Amino acid sequence: MRRSPAFILRSALATVALGAAGVLYGFPLYWLFVTSLKSKGELFASSVHLIPHNPTFAAYSSVLIDRGFWVLLKNSVIVCFSTVVVTLIVGLVITYPITRLPVPARLRVGVLNWALSLRFLPPIAVVIPYFAIVRTLQIYDQPIALIGIYSLFNLPFAIWMLKGFLSEIPLELEDAALVDGATRWIAFRRVLLPLAAPGVMAAGIIIFTFAWSEFLFALILTATPNAQTFPVGVQGLVTQFEIIWNDMAAAGVIAMALPLILMVIGRNYIVAGLTFGVIREK
Amino acid sequence: MRAGRQRLSRDERLAYLILLPALGAVFVIVTIPFVLVIIQSLSNEDGSFIGFVNYSRALGNPLLYEAIKATGVYAVIVLPIEILLGLSFSVLVHRTVRRPGLRAAIYVLAILPLVVPPVAIGVIARLIYAPGYGVLNVILERWGLMHGQEINWLGDPTLAMLAVASVDVWQWTPFVYLVFFSGLQTVPRESVEAAQIDGAGWWAQFRYIDLHYLRPLFILIIVFRLADVLRVFDHVFILTGGGPGTATQLLSLYMYRVEFKFFDSGQAAALAVVVLVSFSLLYTFIARVLPLERA
Repeated sequence: MRRSPAFILRSALATVALGAAGVLYGFPLYWLFVTSLKSKGELFASSVHLIPHNPTFAAYSSVLIDRGFWVLLKNSVIVCFSTVVVTLIVGLVITYPITRLPVPARLRVGVLNWALSLRFLPPIAVVIPYFAIVRTLQIYDQPIALIGIYSLFNLPFAIWMLKGFLSEIPLELEDAALVDGATRWIAFRRVLLPLAAPGVMAAGIIIFTFAWSEFLFALILTATPNAQTFPVGVQGLVTQFEIIWNDMAAAGVIAMALPLILMVIGRNYIVAGLTFGVIREK
Repeated sequence: MRAGRQRLSRDERLAYLILLPALGAVFVIVTIPFVLVIIQSLSNEDGSFIGFVNYSRALGNPLLYEAIKATGVYAVIVLPIEILLGLSFSVLVHRTVRRPGLRAAIYVLAILPLVVPPVAIGVIARLIYAPGYGVLNVILERWGLMHGQEINWLGDPTLAMLAVASVDVWQWTPFVYLVFFSGLQTVPRESVEAAQIDGAGWWAQFRYIDLHYLRPLFILIIVFRLADVLRVFDHVFILTGGGPGTATQLLSLYMYRVEFKFFDSGQAAALAVVVLVSFSLLYTFIARVLPLERA
């Protein structure tokens, strides 16, 4: 390729810009990690070191074991996993008929629009009545209350993503099985679901990370380690009168570890998920 | 022929058989709270009907307008910055980075901030801005940009708002970048080449070709980001808790306080109804302009 002076100038500009972005994104994450490796003694040292002296994992064991946050971690996993299962099942039940069966176009558009409108519901306006319902049903501070509301709020994503994946699979594949005498259920189980599996998995991963990050509902609908999720625990560390910085940082690292790992797996679908399939990657 | 028609109608029946109970259940679950919150907004603590008293209290509260103003200021700060930075980066990377491996690496790195829990980002922001311990002041001092008295980032209304907004920009600029970047991949190579043959420069290419293809994405980004700005809660709650005073008390933090700190559920319910109704109105408008494929 011909390298014009303008191209070289642009490349230099790109290098500088990307380098600056690298520092602006890298340093805060680095600093969180470094702080989490500090010992109690180093926290109150008069000078701040940008590179840790005597790194230690003491803050992690302090958070998970001494403060008992492993219970919150367990709650988070239970709540998120159940949310994924419920959301995917309800999502498939709604998207299967509108993509595979002959329904009027108006019904299909209506369902999709309605799902989209749920995406724009402000959670704080919804949580006020939900709080009353949850107390009436006596599921306050129970994981089930969170699973229910997380499933509802993730359903729009699930519907739009699953609709995208299902409608890419040719109808003929199922028809062939039906002609061979399979029932609709068998055709769904044996033909459609295996083909849609990667998409369904991706939707599941994204729903899991969304549920994992959720804070407002968890803050309001839980009160004790019986149902509190990890982000609520992190918040508890932050607003205490005397902040133990290394514990807080360790909790932050733990909170972001799982979504980051999952996202490396589900990377090709996240943008599609966040934009309701308008943007498709690869 | 007959058998075919019969199967069609059987399929149709099956569709309704699956769809109606599921949709019905979700519809009921979504609707009950709406009905409940309307009833709650029209009654007082012991449940007796009091008309629109809660509404006049909610709408007459000056704190509401401060919250709306704070939310507006927040949106006016973060949206243009995110769009401008995201757009510039996407064009820059699109035009200069050719190696597929490097592009893929940038893609993955850009995704990461999107999935970090806002609570964790709030923690990071705290480590950076907090008085007495924040690393930003340490860096400024080492570089000789700050002398003596340290800057109280979270104690000054303007600085606190900027600190809170910076967190939003940090987390969501990559999203804007990713949307624009994938939009740029849809620009047909032929029109770019034709323009280059005609002698169109860098700016002309961007102005007349790229922007033309990116236009629908602007609407998409503004709508999605606006919906998110109106629900911002987590990182502000962690970083400033709405303070100092009410400087960063955005709408959702304000509503949270009315319900769960002032325990004024009548006023909170009235606010919720007002917000839900304005959102429905806004949504009917949004639904028309959003470039979504609904087929």
